Amino acid sequence: MILSELLTAEVRGDAPVGFVVDVRFVVDAPGEPDRAPEARLYGLIVSPHAKFSPMGFERKDLASPWPIAQIQGWLHRGSFLVHWEDVAAIGRGWVRLRPGFTRYDARLPEEARTLDEDW
Amino acid sequence: MSPTYPPDREAAGRRLLDAHLHLLDRQVLDTDSVPVTAVSDLEISDLDSGEEIPRGTAPPRIEALLSGPVFATRAFGGRPPASRLHRIAWSDVSSVDVVLRLRVRSDSLEASWGERWVRDRIIGRIPGARHDPE
Amino acid sequence: MKKFLGLALGILTAIGGFADIGDIVTNTVVGSRFGMSLAWVVVLGVVGICIFAQMSGRVAAVSGRATFEIIRERLGPRAALANLIASFLINLLTVCAEIGGIALALELASSVNYLLWVPVAAIAVWLVVWRVKFSILENVSGLLGLALIGFAVALFLLHPHWLDLGHQAALQVSFPEEKATTYWYYAVALFGAAMTPYEVFFFSSGAVEEGWKRQDLNQSRANVLVGFPLGGLISLSLAATAAVVLLPQHASVNALSQAVLPVAAGGGKLLLAVTLLGIFAATFGAALETTLSSGYTLAQFLGWSWGKFRRPAEAARFHLTMIITILLGVAILLTGVDPVQVTEFSVVFSAIALPLTYIPILIIANDPQYMGDEVNGRLTGIFAVVFLAIIIVAAVAAIPLMILSGAGQ
Repeated sequence: MILSELLTAEVRGDAPVGFVVDVRFVVDAPGEPDRAPEARLYGLIVSPHAKFSPMGFERKDLASPWPIAQIQGWLHRGSFLVHWEDVAAIGRGWVRLRPGFTRYDARLPEEARTLDEDW
Repeated sequence: MSPTYPPDREAAGRRLLDAHLHLLDRQVLDTDSVPVTAVSDLEISDLDSGEEIPRGTAPPRIEALLSGPVFATRAFGGRPPASRLHRIAWSDVSSVDVVLRLRVRSDSLEASWGERWVRDRIIGRIPGARHDPE
Repeated sequence: MKKFLGLALGILTAIGGFADIGDIVTNTVVGSRFGMSLAWVVVLGVVGICIFAQMSGRVAAVSGRATFEIIRERLGPRAALANLIASFLINLLTVCAEIGGIALALELASSVNYLLWVPVAAIAVWLVVWRVKFSILENVSGLLGLALIGFAVALFLLHPHWLDLGHQAALQVSFPEEKATTYWYYAVALFGAAMTPYEVFFFSSGAVEEGWKRQDLNQSRANVLVGFPLGGLISLSLAATAAVVLLPQHASVNALSQAVLPVAAGGGKLLLAVTLLGIFAATFGAALETTLSSGYTLAQFLGWSWGKFRRPAEAARFHLTMIITILLGVAILLTGVDPVQVTEFSVVFSAIALPLTYIPILIIANDPQYMGDEVNGRLTGIFAVVFLAIIIVAAVAAIPLMILSGAGQ
């Protein structure tokens, strides 16, 4: 599957719920040397109103420039993360969620965001 | 208010990567820091059959970085045939930061054939191409 | 001397933005028709480009990323592609105009027909891009281009009525034969010329070429704060000399030879010769800047290897792009079109490219993932947002104004 087909896919539970604006992966801890760890799909970031990228403003630490942050915040109000377990089916351009799915906080948690590292 | 991210024992303390934020449209550098391409798309292991996914199924993995003709479909929609995809295997990636670094050299990748072709057929034939600028 | 040479990147970038062939003619046209009443636009443009060039230079020094790489990452493929097309066309039209300008300057100096100089100029530009080291390129063009200060010298030698010039600048004089739409068209055109995207593409890519890192941030700042105000000063001198000599006679400026009349009037043949050298060097420098920018933008957008610090064989597609740009520019010139008129059209594309260039820079300059603790300070941030609003207004107004005023007729 090509990722770009998931992006902007329409997400439905019992009713339309929003659009996929980003796809989150979790990276395994480094295992054998010289072998890149796997990156597995962790969840989907769903935005109820807008289709395109929040441009990074969904992180906790990006709040400027002020007008753009406000616009993005408004466009993507109510965004949430859907965990992989709650995904019932994926088709071309659509995603169906299991009944009773949980909406998690979409913001990237601080501790999981270490960059500048080799695996 | 949404609860915080799932109390997932797998994810605790692990790196999280968002495709759009950290991977797509990023510059890819080879092991010698030579630019290779920009990531236009990602290939993920099988999954869009449309059928019900049984509970407990392992989530799909990133298989490869994609570049080349896939840029057009990324921008305008659709899916190019598998034979036209320039793949860089995920296992060749050594770090993800402001750029993506590989553990292999650019020349060994199909993603760099365009550069090699222009170098060999056109630029390489102009005198002075292989000299340092002075 | 070494410190002074370290400012060459800023000076060369500014020359391309404020003193290339299009600017030389536009500023003298403006001076001959509106006096100094558009001086505020030049000042506004200088402040604006200082803010954005400084941000893009800082981003390049701290994160190693040049501007067009960032544009694609933040805007995504579609918007970035729109920017690429617009920017590429601006670059192409400007390269075309500059090569024409070099040929015009050579024609003025030699009386050999300009069309014969065009291929010579094109080959000269290409040879420098192909073989000459970046630092030599910027030092020579930058320093020689400063000879345009000859316009400022001429201004003083003309003993102008400073008070009159001041009144014009403070908008206390009206020009009844000119329409308001024409005035605002030139205002937008001057602003767009001062803040042309290729200036930040060149400056940030140049920062990477020079290998600027975190410890060079002060040097980056100095380049900006010296280069662009100098460029603005040259712009203002161009307008002022025209205001003093041509405005009272209602003389129009249609050719490069008329644009340099005030210099001859003020300082005679010697000053004219120095100034012509300056025009030649500035136009040549602008040709280099825009040719390199055409390579930088396409290569950075697609992730190709680029840079004059690499051998051409190691940045093959980058060099091929520049060769094709030069060839296209020559082809356009050989159709006989006036090279300066060509730059009028790039105003249209600037309108599209300006906001699409500055929004990503602004976002990244605030992003700790790229900048660590070198994110925008509060004051910079406020000014940058204010200028972004001005840029968007100018971008939206550009095309209607161009149509309404008949491109300044």
